[in-house]
Amino acid sequence: MNLSVQLAPKNKHGLSLANPVMTASGTFGYGTEYSHLFDIQKLGAIVCKGTTLKPREGNPQPRLAETPCGVLNSIGLQNIGIEAVIRDKAPVWAGWRVPVMVNIVGIRVEDYARMAAKLDGVAGISGIEVNIGCPNIKAGGAEFGARPDLAAEVTAAVKAATSLPLLVKLTPNTADIAGVAKAVMRAGADAISLINTPRGIAIDVSRRRPLLGNVTGGLSGPAIKPIALYMVYTVAGAVEVPVVGVGGIATASDAIEFIMAGASAVQIGTASFTNPRAPLDILEGIEQFMKKEGIEDIAELIGAGRR
Amino acid sequence: MRQEVASVTANAELMPQVHLMWLESSQIASPAQPGQFVMVRCGEDFEYPLRRPFSIHQQDGSKLALLFNMVGRGTHWLSQCQAGDELDLLGPLGNGFSIHPGSHNLLLVAGGIGIAPLVFLAQQALSQGQAVTLLLGASTAPQLYPEHLLPPEVKLVTATEDGTAGKKGMITDLLPDFTGWADQIFACGPISMYQTMTKQNFVTTKPVQVSLEVRMGCGLGVCYGCTVKTKSGLKQVCQDGPIFDLDDILWEELANGGV
Repeated sequence: MNLSVQLAPKNKHGLSLANPVMTASGTFGYGTEYSHLFDIQKLGAIVCKGTTLKPREGNPQPRLAETPCGVLNSIGLQNIGIEAVIRDKAPVWAGWRVPVMVNIVGIRVEDYARMAAKLDGVAGISGIEVNIGCPNIKAGGAEFGARPDLAAEVTAAVKAATSLPLLVKLTPNTADIAGVAKAVMRAGADAISLINTPRGIAIDVSRRRPLLGNVTGGLSGPAIKPIALYMVYTVAGAVEVPVVGVGGIATASDAIEFIMAGASAVQIGTASFTNPRAPLDILEGIEQFMKKEGIEDIAELIGAGRR
Repeated sequence: MRQEVASVTANAELMPQVHLMWLESSQIASPAQPGQFVMVRCGEDFEYPLRRPFSIHQQDGSKLALLFNMVGRGTHWLSQCQAGDELDLLGPLGNGFSIHPGSHNLLLVAGGIGIAPLVFLAQQALSQGQAVTLLLGASTAPQLYPEHLLPPEVKLVTATEDGTAGKKGMITDLLPDFTGWADQIFACGPISMYQTMTKQNFVTTKPVQVSLEVRMGCGLGVCYGCTVKTKSGLKQVCQDGPIFDLDDILWEELANGGV
């Protein structure tokens, strides 16, 4: 049975995954945190925590609120910064079989380019996920991903700074998801992942004020799955590069829906908090489904549910 | 730290809205230390995506107990679990209390449900030959943790806000009478209790460890949901805590929602 997928067919390095199950940025740390709970080397790829040029302290508490089948978060990109990722994390990843991608997010276009240049040629880093849709930073983030021209500008700047495979992660907080997808593809994205979290809020009724310290947050978890699936379906029909589906995937059946909608791979996010083994359980569930259905190659499933 | 499917052996309402649950969980119970916690998966499927963190209340061989307040949907679901049901636990997590080698007299201060981690601590301290005094406070008498569940060697002093049991007032009102005796102080309660303690002048003379509770996502240091600002920089409550030195936390900022 062949589960392998190629996410960057036109890139000189390529981005070959042993299977289509990845972890979503911000929900799997730097990979090391889960390594004593299950064999993370069995996964298709790991995407690390969203990384900025300088370390960030993040947003005020509270940063989390659970909603029905969902989680609102306003972490605000607390992270160790690109230099620490290269110095402390990449050498660990270099010894791993599973490819690791670094998720980068900038306040300005040149932040993205500088981070991409620093990551170029670093052992242990197999690709970059360009986050143009973090909804938590007022100064940048969502604005880049909301408009095709800005999204393309960021993508082109990163492309010019590195030869690493580029996955560009789209935000659902835009009026034109297909337009943004086409724009980043033309600007050099090797693949497109979607969706980042839709923006939401919660009100603390006893204190009569927004529950999250940052007022707004990003919604994740099974609550957003139909929205993510619709956007993956739409984008997969609009672009000629591989698409990676993310948003509320908690079971193998969820993952297969995204693959049938046109995704070449999937990312598991919030489900890892509920069940740290979720990525592995999902991979095993996909294998069982293929066995049951007599499918030899995962490629037979990609886009199989489109009409 | 392990992920383990544990079976519920008992679950009953101990005080109004507060449940005591015992679980058979050999992999997590055995290595657990006082002050550490577990993350419990609640609900069927993914209805409640975030696990709930609970201090380990007691440990007995391969069994552990949780003491929890029914505050929301997840804990309400947990309260309905019955003996024989299985729960998915992650643990033991966090750093735990630290009893200094030279300490003989331990003063424990519990505000309401804050008794949860302190019974386990009292049991361990007594087994090591240390003396334990417990200052136990609640808003009313029925909300006081039952004395018969405490080790008999514990010296118990109680206070209630309405005066229906023990001394009338806040438990922190009693602190000045006992701090001279104590070598170390361990507290668990609401942030307002900790804020009161920081204003009491013994803080500078006696070491105080407190158990901190904030909203958590993963419990493993991955999501940065539980970050707090301390005098020594940003800390993750789930990994660097939940036990902190009282004077290390910037309480005013935390109470105001600041990181």
